[in-house]
Amino acid sequence: MAAVDSRGEVLDVQPLPLPYFLLRVRVAAMEAAEPGQFVMVAGANRPEPYLRRAFSVYDQEAASDGSLVISLLGKVIGRGTEALAACVPGERIPVLGPLGTGFHSVAAGISGSGGSESGRAALVAGGIGSAGLGLLAQALERSGRPFDFFYGGRGAEDLVEAETFRRLSERSGGRLVKTTEDGSAGERGLITTALEAEVRTGAGYTTVCTCGPHGLMAAVAGIAAAGGVAGEAATETPMGCGYGACLGCAVTLKNGGYALCCRQGPVFRLDEVAW
Amino acid sequence: MSAGARGLPSPDLSTRVGPLRLQNPILTASGTFGYGLEFAERADLHRLGGLVTKGLSLEPLAGNPPVRIAETRGGMLNSIGLQNIGVDRFLSEVLPGLKDLPPKVIVNLFGYAQDEYVRLAERVEPYEGVAAVELNVSCPNVSKGGIEFGHDPEILSRLVRRVRSATGKPIVVKLSPNVTSPQALAGAAKEGGADILSAVNTFVGMAIDTATRRPILSTIRGGLSGPAIKPLALRIVFDVAREVDLPVIGIGGVETVDDVLEFLLAGASAVQVGTALFRDPRTAERLVDGLRERLRAEGIPSVDSLIGAAARPE
Repeated sequence: MAAVDSRGEVLDVQPLPLPYFLLRVRVAAMEAAEPGQFVMVAGANRPEPYLRRAFSVYDQEAASDGSLVISLLGKVIGRGTEALAACVPGERIPVLGPLGTGFHSVAAGISGSGGSESGRAALVAGGIGSAGLGLLAQALERSGRPFDFFYGGRGAEDLVEAETFRRLSERSGGRLVKTTEDGSAGERGLITTALEAEVRTGAGYTTVCTCGPHGLMAAVAGIAAAGGVAGEAATETPMGCGYGACLGCAVTLKNGGYALCCRQGPVFRLDEVAW
Repeated sequence: MSAGARGLPSPDLSTRVGPLRLQNPILTASGTFGYGLEFAERADLHRLGGLVTKGLSLEPLAGNPPVRIAETRGGMLNSIGLQNIGVDRFLSEVLPGLKDLPPKVIVNLFGYAQDEYVRLAERVEPYEGVAAVELNVSCPNVSKGGIEFGHDPEILSRLVRRVRSATGKPIVVKLSPNVTSPQALAGAAKEGGADILSAVNTFVGMAIDTATRRPILSTIRGGLSGPAIKPLALRIVFDVAREVDLPVIGIGGVETVDDVLEFLLAGASAVQVGTALFRDPRTAERLVDGLRERLRAEGIPSVDSLIGAAARPE
């Protein structure tokens, strides 16, 4: 499958509670992304920041003219995300993708080729990490596989797509579990505590998939290992190019070696990463 | 010569860099284009003047732990640590796919000891698809080796002489900017028998995360590249080209046609494009087209007539 480097047309930047935004871009000749895959994007005609930014494809829709409309869920944290949040409808921005390796073991389960990958799934998102789980939640829901969506943040404003994930998880036969550190939505506390409680009380998960801050994913890996549950994590590292040329996005593996987040990743098995 | 648009003759982009004849002066820099084939689906390799491979060592190297890169204003710092598949795998698995393409393949070699450079040169010697070797004597990202060869004129001269005796292929020596006088090192490379100089490698720099109060890169220091270094690199190319009688390939923040022209005018016979490829994988081929257009528009018949023009008296 070939990633295509092209100019995408900005359709709109939907206002979400700050600092979050949802950027929709129409790309003429891009293949649909698999759950967990990403694109490299930048603002229009901007000399700075110099490098493109990696964004999970959060949502996508094939248009009747053969183009693909992708949605990127973002959080303004620096110059790159500022530039993207400031995009104006009609602007043309560089889009390279889809890139990387997505949630392959789960995808294998959905397509029926991986017999062990059935049963209940847990998806665990920390804040903006929910962007990396959007396509996966849709795929699970479509395939009729039940999943619970664990959504954690510092405050209610970080659970920006809670309604989307509530709808998808409930339709699948699962539910949305929310936690916030300040108690402004859901239970007060960490989402990993909620996950651990469910795993301990025998929720019967056969898969755990996560995307979020490093500490959260490391904790999920620990909980999954203790509960004997397999799983995957969509990791994030600073990236130079996104397609394997700069070798800048190394992820340290348990075997002592490195893997490139942009090619072998961004999705890795929970038990292969040296958290 | 064919007539181009607007009836003007199509300019001659070909350039001679010492013993190398290139179809145009645009090459891709080591460490920014993988081994070449990774780009086949995103860039038109056929149109490049040449490509320089990722630095190759005798044995595969895993590279440095993360974090390996940090973006800075106008560029980036890297500390990849020469991760590579090793020279043997390159020759058996990658070179066959590159050797029949029009761009000249220049193999970048890296060793921890003089003997390793010699053995690397011997290893690639029988392969016709290798047009030249580029000696990486100036990588700032390894704790030992490389950089010391590029910082001492006597050591550099001896190293090049030993590689010279091991290969009949053109030798390119990639100069470090992190020295007081790159010209002195350039002179030493020539004395050792180098055919071509490439200038420059990255500038040693660092970045600090103000939130954690720690250096961003795992190795603390890294190599700065991108538009931020262009004026610095240009000055070195100008000085080296004027003082040392060897052809120079200019490297450092090349991204626009004007950047290419500046390096040519400063005395470079060709340029390598690096970090700009991360921003846009098609930068190099875009520069080939842009350069042709510019020369045609300005009625400049060939690249040759530009080389070193800024150093000549008015």
